Amino acid sequence: MDSLFNLFVRSVFIDNMIFAYFLGMCSYLAVSKTVKTSVGLGIAVTFVLVITAPLNWFVDTYLLKEGALTWLGADYADVDLSYLSFIIFIAVIAAMVQLVEMVVEKVSPPLYNALGIFLPLIAVNCAILGVALFVQEREYTSVAEVTVYSFGSGIGWFLAIVGFAAIREKITYSNIPAPLKGLGIAFILTGLMAVAFMSFMGIKI
Amino acid sequence: MSNFKLLKAPFNRENPITVQVLGICSALAVTVQMKPAIVMALSVIVVTAFSNLIISMLRNTIPPRIRIIVQLVVIAALVIIVDQLLKAYVYDVSQKLSVFVGLIITNCILMGRLEAFAMAQKPWPSFLDGIGNGIGYGLILVIVSFFRELLGSGSFYGHKVIPQSFYDAGYIDNGLMILPPMALITIGTIIWVQRSKNRDLIEK
Amino acid sequence: MFSNRYIFIYSSVMVILVAIALTIVAVLLKPMQEYNQRVEKMQNILISVHIESTPKNAEVLYKKYITESLVVNSKGEVKEGVNAFDLEMQVENKKKSEDKNLPIFICMSEKNEKYYIVPVRGKGLWGPIWGYVSFKEDLNTIVGTRFGHKSETPGLGAEINTPPFQNQFINKTILNNEGSFISVMVVKGGAPDSDMHGVDAISGGTITSKGLEAMVHDCIKEYTVYFSKIRK
Repeated sequence: MDSLFNLFVRSVFIDNMIFAYFLGMCSYLAVSKTVKTSVGLGIAVTFVLVITAPLNWFVDTYLLKEGALTWLGADYADVDLSYLSFIIFIAVIAAMVQLVEMVVEKVSPPLYNALGIFLPLIAVNCAILGVALFVQEREYTSVAEVTVYSFGSGIGWFLAIVGFAAIREKITYSNIPAPLKGLGIAFILTGLMAVAFMSFMGIKI
Repeated sequence: MSNFKLLKAPFNRENPITVQVLGICSALAVTVQMKPAIVMALSVIVVTAFSNLIISMLRNTIPPRIRIIVQLVVIAALVIIVDQLLKAYVYDVSQKLSVFVGLIITNCILMGRLEAFAMAQKPWPSFLDGIGNGIGYGLILVIVSFFRELLGSGSFYGHKVIPQSFYDAGYIDNGLMILPPMALITIGTIIWVQRSKNRDLIEK
Repeated sequence: MFSNRYIFIYSSVMVILVAIALTIVAVLLKPMQEYNQRVEKMQNILISVHIESTPKNAEVLYKKYITESLVVNSKGEVKEGVNAFDLEMQVENKKKSEDKNLPIFICMSEKNEKYYIVPVRGKGLWGPIWGYVSFKEDLNTIVGTRFGHKSETPGLGAEINTPPFQNQFINKTILNNEGSFISVMVVKGGAPDSDMHGVDAISGGTITSKGLEAMVHDCIKEYTVYFSKIRK
């Protein structure tokens, strides 16, 4: 239990998807003009992460990894399909996003109106595929670990984009050198926020 | 636009990273040293060029409803091939790049160029557009990694360039350059320099 | 413009073509990738006894210095018919202690000293960490270590694969004065030079350091029965 909590805190603050790995930067820069939209996107990303990462973990563990097909019989013990993992992961993500979109539309129209426009964007959000690949590379062993890690990464991403949007709203009226306006200052701001998040590095729980 | 222009525009005025804001995601984490950055840049060039070419050749046969999936499948297949080649021929670098090769799939440059260019243009211009955007992207990676490696570890492409006498005199490598935040700030500075030169790119 | 049937056939054909192409590439390149992994493993084994190698000469050097390899179990019996080099600790560590195949590589150095090299594997902060530890003929004094990791935090936990950290292990011993196994501790805040069983932890990399300590302890412990047999 301790280690799960530890994993959560670390994935939120220290190995933050944006500040440590730059994943999901495209939508982070594009959709952070106002706090309201960025809250929507942040929730959508977290939601999709928690669904797809464990699913991809199952696919990897029981279908793709070397020896993963042993449950089919001893003859399949040597089959190694891991070279297909990229394509399968992205297919799972794209399919899940589509499915989530349809389900949300049916079940909860208000939620769909809030999240709807962001969902298609998410299929190509690097953070989603990134988490799936990190889970594969770090050889997590239980579905609990994977779920906690993906939830933590989602929350980390959420915090990053919401914080960033809040700062961006505030600096609209600041006197920034003209060539630095917009994109330039956005990068530098993100860099400074990353420095702030680095102070969590020594954290111990 | 002439073909040559297609190739050259993304280097500066239509640079995918600093102007089009595409494909920042997967790449910055590999800019601590120049070697992985160059290998990463080459991989992206190959994938952008060939995915543009293939999609452009198929453009009239692709049903619009499954367009995105078709594009993703083509990209993912190319990325897997590149990843397998890296593992076979430059094993040590492929270890350093780890998951970031896979993340080329979701690199927004690819989808962005496919949607904006290859779906509507003939194969040859699309191919050039892919190469051009790949190089424009690689250029930024190389510049960022040059500064990060020089200031962060005092070396250039793995060779020490700052003489020992400097260190003896009290010079210390800037450890902050190796950490992620400085990649972002370096890019911010590059954008600043570029826009000071091309003032029409300045955002209102 | 496009019928459902067309879409269905189109996507099926595409998936089949892509799958065939990828399988061909994967099968063609597999031998080279496996060769690279073998060479890397050889280099890691060699570096744990301080023999530098390049991917080109690793195989030659490996054949020259690593004269023997064997597999034992935790009861100290030598197992026949298992190739030590092909064993993967990742797989072995999941087995029960008594079922584990434990590889040992024996190196004859230039000075004609006999070194024993054993692989270790464990868990760091983020993911797996692994390495090789080599011992002198007394099976007590450490000759050298080589650690690796996949995704520890750069600048903190990732320091375990740097020479300053690894070289601390040289000449440390794993047995106390009474001759029982206590391994090497990673001491937070720094171990005194006189401590024969302690090395400095990485500041800021506590969890990785602790993981490494546990890895060295747990993996070498399996060998204790065999080692004490040899010592006699």
